[in-house]
Amino acid sequence: MKKLKNILYLIGLYFKVNLASAMEYRSSFLMQAFGMALSNATFVFYWWIAFSQIGGRIGGYDFKDVMFIWALTSSAFGASNILFANMFRITTIIVTGELDTFLLQPKDVLISLLCSRTALSTWGDLLYGFVLMALTHGNDGMVWLMFLLGIVIGGLLMTAISVTAHTFTFYFGDASLIGDIALEFIINFCIYPEGIYRGFVRAMMLSVIPASFIVHIPLKLARSFQPGLLLILLAFAALYCFIAYKFFYHGLKKYESGNLIITRM
Amino acid sequence: MKFLRKYSTIIRISLQNAFVYRSNVLGGLLFYIVFIFVFFNLWRAIYQSGKVAGYTLSQMVWYLCMTELIAFGCKSNVFRQMNEDVKSGSIAYQLNRPYHYIIYQFSYTFGGIIFNLLIYGALAIVLGLIMVGPIPGFQLSLLPFGIFSAVLGILLNFFFLMALGLTAFRLEDNTAFFLIYQKLVFMLGMFIPLEFLPGWIQRIARWLPFSYVTWAPARLIVAFSWDLFRQVVPMQLLWLAVSVLFASGMYNYGVRGLQAHGG
Repeated sequence: MKKLKNILYLIGLYFKVNLASAMEYRSSFLMQAFGMALSNATFVFYWWIAFSQIGGRIGGYDFKDVMFIWALTSSAFGASNILFANMFRITTIIVTGELDTFLLQPKDVLISLLCSRTALSTWGDLLYGFVLMALTHGNDGMVWLMFLLGIVIGGLLMTAISVTAHTFTFYFGDASLIGDIALEFIINFCIYPEGIYRGFVRAMMLSVIPASFIVHIPLKLARSFQPGLLLILLAFAALYCFIAYKFFYHGLKKYESGNLIITRM
Repeated sequence: MKFLRKYSTIIRISLQNAFVYRSNVLGGLLFYIVFIFVFFNLWRAIYQSGKVAGYTLSQMVWYLCMTELIAFGCKSNVFRQMNEDVKSGSIAYQLNRPYHYIIYQFSYTFGGIIFNLLIYGALAIVLGLIMVGPIPGFQLSLLPFGIFSAVLGILLNFFFLMALGLTAFRLEDNTAFFLIYQKLVFMLGMFIPLEFLPGWIQRIARWLPFSYVTWAPARLIVAFSWDLFRQVVPMQLLWLAVSVLFASGMYNYGVRGLQAHGG
């Protein structure tokens, strides 16, 4: 419990430092965040056209449901990137030997590694989700609660997926391909109604590709709350993150330093 | 002759580079498969109610295979490269080399595009056949006209991206232009055919260049008609001319104001 508290404290400190650094470049920060939000907004247009063509539901989802999964995917992705932006650079950091710097630090290596960078543009992703929710779901308390919970769970799961994919670098030498595409693959399964997929793909979405746990189960809970389903969601997310964490440290034992000298400013 | 040999060498080098970076190719192919698979599932669910806006499911899947093929085929770093060259100042070193900067960039990108179109084209055909079978009413003899339109779409996309990249000469941050352009291409044809849009948007879109990048060629390939060909190809040629003029205008304007400080 104390370790978890320390980790949260460390994440908070990194967040403050990264935010202060981002604020030094306000115009660039605002431009990138706005650009990302605008980019996401085009998909609302796409879905509006799709639903206006057929009316009713697509894969069991209506327009508001689709907006929920879009908002949640966007905000969870934004939150994970604001806090853990280095998750996309783990392979580069391992391969170039930059990892040495993190090994020398007195805090948790994985957390320091993940938190030491933030992505400015993803503030746009985070805020876009909130705006979309406000426009499509108004002040429905349960939906907002599941949305906020979903951001935390989805953000952690996305980070865990990226960490797991990049950790293969310790074993294979360079897993940048898997690392680069793993999360984007999963996001592709998050932003479309679950009902459009069948059999095997649905099973994958509940296990290896945990898209169902990132957005579709929170949506089910928002529609009709079931405590048992919530417990399953929390347990799965905790287990997935725990396995990713342990997998990283298991791989780390195989790391060999290249004695690279780096200065972190 | 010397001119052609010089730039064909650049195309060859670019092709060789594309073969060397195999993991990038593999990643792109996997993405392409996932995109098509997801869209196939989505449109299959939508088409449970029958035919939508004049397209059958089979035509719709082939349409998406074609638009994504053009999107992946067009994929180049030209915008980012222009930006970097201008902002880092490395363009100053390229200006006194024995080639024209714009033609050099075009030749280099063209090699990558040839490679992409071959690889993704083969994959598009395989995926389309597996998912929905052959295109209904497809005539092989008309395919060259669709390909011609696709080449025009790719070229006009390239020159617009180049022109937008060259705005870096005068603007500190031009990313917003790129994002807006990219999204307009997405919305006006790449993910959904123009025929699905409300009438007033269609009428405006037909006068703008964005639909002519993916919609026009994909529509010609999946449901060719001479009427459509006569409508869209002149518009593509017109916009291609505009984009080339725009890019060379931006280049000349930018180079005139360029200040090199050595180093």
